[in-house]
Amino acid sequence: MRLLLIEDYRPLQQSLAKGLREAGFAVDTTGDGQEGLWFAMGNDYDVIILDLMLPGMDGLSLLKKLRAEGRQNHVLILTAKDTLEDRIKGLNLGADDYLVKPFSFEELLARVRALLRRSYREKNPEIKVQNLRIDLTTQRVWHGRDEIRLTPREYALLEYLALRAGQTVSRTDIWEHVYEFKSAASSNVVDVYIGYLRKKIEQPGKPPLIHTVRGRGYTLGVQP
Amino acid sequence: MKPSLQIRLVVGVVSAVLLLLTVFSVGIYSVIRSALLSQFDASLVSIAQILAGSVEVDGDQIELEIEVQQMPELQDRNKPTYYQLWRHDGTVAAKSPLLESSNLPRLAGSPEKPTFKTLRAGAGRVERAAGYGFTPRLSDNDRKTAEPPRLMLTVARDSAAILSQLRFLRWVLFLASGAVILLSILVALLTVRQGLRPLTAIAGEIAAVRETDLATRIAAEDVPGELLPIKERLNDLLSRLEAAFNRERRFTADVAHELRTPLAGIRSTIEVTLSRGRDQKEYKTALSDCLAIIENMQTMVNNLLMIARLDACQAALRREQVHPAELVSSCWRPFSEKAKLRRIAFDNRIQTDAVINSDPQKLSMVLSNLLGNAVEYANDAGQIWVTTHHSDDSIEIAVANTGCRLTSDEVARAFDCFWRGDSSRAGTGTHCGLGLALVQRLVGALGGSAAAEVQLGGVFTVRLTLPASAP
Repeated sequence: MRLLLIEDYRPLQQSLAKGLREAGFAVDTTGDGQEGLWFAMGNDYDVIILDLMLPGMDGLSLLKKLRAEGRQNHVLILTAKDTLEDRIKGLNLGADDYLVKPFSFEELLARVRALLRRSYREKNPEIKVQNLRIDLTTQRVWHGRDEIRLTPREYALLEYLALRAGQTVSRTDIWEHVYEFKSAASSNVVDVYIGYLRKKIEQPGKPPLIHTVRGRGYTLGVQP
Repeated sequence: MKPSLQIRLVVGVVSAVLLLLTVFSVGIYSVIRSALLSQFDASLVSIAQILAGSVEVDGDQIELEIEVQQMPELQDRNKPTYYQLWRHDGTVAAKSPLLESSNLPRLAGSPEKPTFKTLRAGAGRVERAAGYGFTPRLSDNDRKTAEPPRLMLTVARDSAAILSQLRFLRWVLFLASGAVILLSILVALLTVRQGLRPLTAIAGEIAAVRETDLATRIAAEDVPGELLPIKERLNDLLSRLEAAFNRERRFTADVAHELRTPLAGIRSTIEVTLSRGRDQKEYKTALSDCLAIIENMQTMVNNLLMIARLDACQAALRREQVHPAELVSSCWRPFSEKAKLRRIAFDNRIQTDAVINSDPQKLSMVLSNLLGNAVEYANDAGQIWVTTHHSDDSIEIAVANTGCRLTSDEVARAFDCFWRGDSSRAGTGTHCGLGLALVQRLVGALGGSAAAEVQLGGVFTVRLTLPASAP
């Protein structure tokens, strides 16, 4: 899942980005409101984590512009302003959640995951595809009773496919939602990781879980 | 507490009415009294004239004409008129038979100017007498031989009627005055209460103002002209209070914000680091990141404390002779390395012999802040310079740097707490926006003032005006 973190206080930005990446997210960061808006307009982020007091453009103006442009991204506001009016103002402008600094990183992570489930209309934190079981909270994957060890990038890819199970997901979609700007731009990377994933989750003699749809992309589970 | 306005106004009005009534009553009384008495006296004199005209002197014989003696006025026993006539030597020549054995007093007087006197006779009777000295007509025999003798005549009549009339008049005046005073107290009370109603209304509105809601203003519609300035001043005061409270509230919110953000930084750095096993290098990095944040927080808290102390005028001043040129050089030292790295040129143009009387510690805090800002915001390969300008009783120290991208409007806010030039916020958080606010207060404590300006070409200058000698 790909996140945009707009926070101008560098120590916080860096530690959050590190933590979120370690949790398997692709994270783009910026400390400038204007730049943040450009990022948000140019990519389909699953969740945008937004500070309110920003140079360039303040967070609420950014949010207003984003919604005015019809973007439906989930936005989590992160700010030191904690009055009721501030919170109501933020939510009324189209934010989905609100977290007051200082906050627990675990709580931020939990809220981001909740927003992601909402993005993909999935209330259950556990997804089942045939006999594959994915726990979105602990990020662990089982095949029947056997746990499968995945790297963060492999897990991110599987999670994205699982949240859209049954649909054909294009390489571009995968690229946009699983990788961040800093990654080397190559659609070949997606194919390579799909290969790694197949090896780990599919068992010989059983029907394949990931189907290749020629010219369109991949589908996890039963083809539509 | 002074007596209430209401009591004072009522007392004033009633006293004035009392004074007016007294003067008026005394005036009326004396006019009526003198009119009554002069009428009475005139009738006494006319009787005296008739009596005097009827006196006939024949040698030693002095006689009154018999018709005159029969006048009804002299005969009426209920309201008698008495007379008594004396010779020049004091012997009684004639007197009214009604007097019997008693005598009237002998009064001086002349036909032109008779004398009058009120007599207290026995048994509560009051009489008024007129003295009338005259020269009688002589009988035909004596007319050629003798000088006419001078005679004295006193005529008296009971004046109880007049006195009772006057007594009645006194009562009427007294009672009327009393009634008028009572009425005036009542009217004054009502009028004053009515007149003071707007004051009560304003007092009620003021009492309703809560410290939590200073946005209310005193409406007090239809206040009289005299109270309008009071209402306006009160509303001005409320506006100022509201602004001050809002400033405080904003300041508190700003402080909370400024402390929360670095706290969030420390917390997330630690939590992310603890979330899994790390190698030693990563722990070290996390710890030094946290330390850097804490150092910034510490600076900020110290600055806030200093500002609070300066605002409360609790900072002690220690004045001595200071050489600004030396002070600037020593304050520059910590920044010289950083300036060299960014190829920023520094020029201390202060005359080496310049001396001012000031607190060296506070002044060096001011200069360090300004020089630190200058190094932070000057463009690479830019310039920083410090100059002084002397006048009779003050010295101006100006710290200037190139590379300023602020507008004049933004510079006007430069001394506000937590204000940062927009571009500086993206920095690493080393500048918490308190430096210039602290500078302004420090300079204020030193008896001077600070002003900032930006000139064309991006030259940012802070001018400190300090008293040259101790104030």
